[in-house]
Amino acid sequence: MQKASESSLRGQLNRRRFLQSASALTFAIGSYGIVAVSRTSAHDTASTGISAWVRIGADDRVHVIFPSTEMGQGSSTALPLILAEDLDADWDKVVVEQLNRDDRSFGNPIFGNILYTAGSTGVYGYFDSLRIAGAQARHILMRAAATTWGVPTAEVTTEPGAVLHEASARRLSFGEIAAQPIDDLSVPELSVADLKPLSSFRLIGSDLPRRDIPAKSKGRETYAIDVRVPGMLFATVQRAPVEGAKVAGIEDSDALAVPGVVQILTLPDGVAVVAERLEAALAGKERLEVTWTGAEAEGTADSDTTLLDYAAALKDPTAERATWSEAGDAASAIADAERVVEAEYLSDYAYHAQIEPMAAVASVDRDGLGAEVWVGTQTQTWSMRTVTETLGTTADRVRLHAMTMGGSFGRRTALQQEYLSDALLISREMKRPVKLVWTREDDVKNGCLRPAAVQRLRAGLTADGALSGWEHRVATPSVIAYFNQLRWEQVRPKDIISMRGSESQFYALPDKHAEHVVTERHARLAPWRGIGASYTSFAAEAFMDELALEARKDPIAFRMALLASNPRGQKLLTRVAEMADWERPRERTALGLSFAGYGDSMAAGIAEIALDRESGVITVPRFWSAVDAGLIVSPDNALAQIEGGIVFGLSSSLKERITISEGEIEQSNYYDYEILRANEVPEIEIHLEKSEHRPTGIGEVGTPMVAAAVSNAFHALTGKRLRHLPFTPERVLAALA
Amino acid sequence: MIRLNVNDEEIETDAEPDTALLWVLREHLGLTGTKFGCGAGMCGACTVHVDGVPTFSCLTSIDTLEGMNVTTIEGLSPDGTHPLQRAWIAEQVPQCGYCQSGQIMRAAALLKETADPERSEILDYMSPNLCRCGTYNRIVKAVQRAAREV
Repeated sequence: MQKASESSLRGQLNRRRFLQSASALTFAIGSYGIVAVSRTSAHDTASTGISAWVRIGADDRVHVIFPSTEMGQGSSTALPLILAEDLDADWDKVVVEQLNRDDRSFGNPIFGNILYTAGSTGVYGYFDSLRIAGAQARHILMRAAATTWGVPTAEVTTEPGAVLHEASARRLSFGEIAAQPIDDLSVPELSVADLKPLSSFRLIGSDLPRRDIPAKSKGRETYAIDVRVPGMLFATVQRAPVEGAKVAGIEDSDALAVPGVVQILTLPDGVAVVAERLEAALAGKERLEVTWTGAEAEGTADSDTTLLDYAAALKDPTAERATWSEAGDAASAIADAERVVEAEYLSDYAYHAQIEPMAAVASVDRDGLGAEVWVGTQTQTWSMRTVTETLGTTADRVRLHAMTMGGSFGRRTALQQEYLSDALLISREMKRPVKLVWTREDDVKNGCLRPAAVQRLRAGLTADGALSGWEHRVATPSVIAYFNQLRWEQVRPKDIISMRGSESQFYALPDKHAEHVVTERHARLAPWRGIGASYTSFAAEAFMDELALEARKDPIAFRMALLASNPRGQKLLTRVAEMADWERPRERTALGLSFAGYGDSMAAGIAEIALDRESGVITVPRFWSAVDAGLIVSPDNALAQIEGGIVFGLSSSLKERITISEGEIEQSNYYDYEILRANEVPEIEIHLEKSEHRPTGIGEVGTPMVAAAVSNAFHALTGKRLRHLPFTPERVLAALA
Repeated sequence: MIRLNVNDEEIETDAEPDTALLWVLREHLGLTGTKFGCGAGMCGACTVHVDGVPTFSCLTSIDTLEGMNVTTIEGLSPDGTHPLQRAWIAEQVPQCGYCQSGQIMRAAALLKETADPERSEILDYMSPNLCRCGTYNRIVKAVQRAAREV
């Protein structure tokens, strides 16, 4: 038998020869697990024509391609770990590699298989396919080892990184198996039901350290802004101050006089200063004078007027409307109710304020039809498209490096990425590599914002104080229609970015109507941590407290009644009330409750606030939260993400506000767009529910609950309502007056 | 030519005298652990030590540094094992990580001034340094852990 003779021959090979002839086992993965297996020489993965998502080398290393991108959320550890769990890999031998191509064979299934890292979808989007793929790969290794030993596959098992045959005390490491010829590379049919039970998890649910943290603690992580390429030029860009404006005139003699400035280039939406040194490019931009012309209608936008317009749209029967979520007959239930309660909530524009400003490095090939680019991105797909569209080329000519991001929170998600296309155009023109850096001022002024919104809530109460009918109308533009027209064609008229949260899905609301009043867009927009839920949950949960008061019920009891069919949600409310000692009156502070979440992840939160009535400054000394996000892959990281989400929510609730005048963003930097500082952070206590339900995401669940918890606490403290986000001192003083 | 002492090494730079230390560190010397965040002394991502004092390198011209010692995250500990860096890893502080070099440099100055700082002292001292990911509470834990080890 051929196998036997091969096997005995192999026995004579010494370890050194073994490694010299080293080969690797590579696995291509798709949404339903492994789609192909092949044996390749160690450095020959490209020639197979398949995507080597997982590669087991003769050196025992298991290379796992990370299909998302890393912006601080930790999925570059979590996703490979899920596969390693079912593969029974030795975690110390797992090497994580960034996917740097637009390879949609294993794209994000939540977004139609494009490579897209957003919406807290990484873990839950890839969970089943990574688990199945891991289990299939393990089975293939076991089958190969069993064949080598001439024993039935059923008799072999694994320990981390190796296959064992206990009866004969034989062991082959994954690398040893990968290095030997394997006849049977067929993919076993496995489904979720065949996977190992949760009780035998070794990696999932344990607190393994994140892979990216040592480098980030030593200043050794490389972000796009850190990339240095030999012969590189530096560029800054003065972009159109108002969307749609075009260059009318350039006075560049002072800029060109700066030592080191080599060229002034006109771009489609801006003027670039190109220099041998970054400091020269920055100084040149300071001295550049550009006049602009031809701004579009939104060029005249003013954010105060915008809010008035949106409020008017709520009452305008001719305004464009799209039902977001519907059940029963809300209007009739409200009409039949004993009392009707209504309230309007406003929220301003918000900016991402990630600490790394937009930056990209591009090196365009001599023929202008290919390029190597380094850019922080939440989507390899749309970054690749930006390159191919900008250069008029094809993806095979592009070498993309999807760099770790210095925060992103939705900023780097767009179909067209202007910081990247500008870098490419400059590099093509200059015939040299170029690093393009936005200043903080550029980053604010060219921000893509969370939209402003005006919301109207209307509900009925029965004679005994029960809810009867719920209407939630959100007047805000469509974010998707602006930031990704291709996606909009697939999903219109339902805009999850603008509307998420207003479905109030955690409560039993038999008669409910949530509606998007689609208003005119007056600013550049993008997803922003928590997307719509960051303002819709503010309105819904602040309104819920108003209803509870009107019904003369405790805010917890009132919500508990609506959660009768959601025991997981009830548990969170009970838990957070215990954590905060809800019943205990405070002397100078007050508590406020909120129950929100993100997608299918639920969060109950209680804020304790204090108020300086002279200045109108709200402080939040403590925040408690109980969260159910299903099964948790990395509990310690989940706590960090939820805490970060709470801080983000608090920062935006108290401080963050972009205003627009004549089409221009008025803020410039962290001195007029302030975010929460260390001395303003509350003590935060989080209970993470242990759950065997499917994972549902942790990146954004902390954010949406916060604003309502603060505003409800403010009412408890003062008897006044804050219905306009953010709760700036001026608004607080106005509410108290 | 301006001479600087960076991480105990004498270096010469042909950068203009009014160039911000940040750009010399990052783009001339390749010490990219120090980050650019705001250019206005508002975020602290560029924090380095000048003669041991935490300083915004984005607001510091190199011509003011003659004869002074600049220490960056790369020079805080030759192998990246300063007690704060070990504590940062132990407490799993960084998320995106971009602000953390600046945070660690400021925390290192704090520990030189105050051996065993309380939560409120740490938060006050660390306030010039923004973290958009919201790691402030973990920074407190890590600073206290490092303080116990120093």
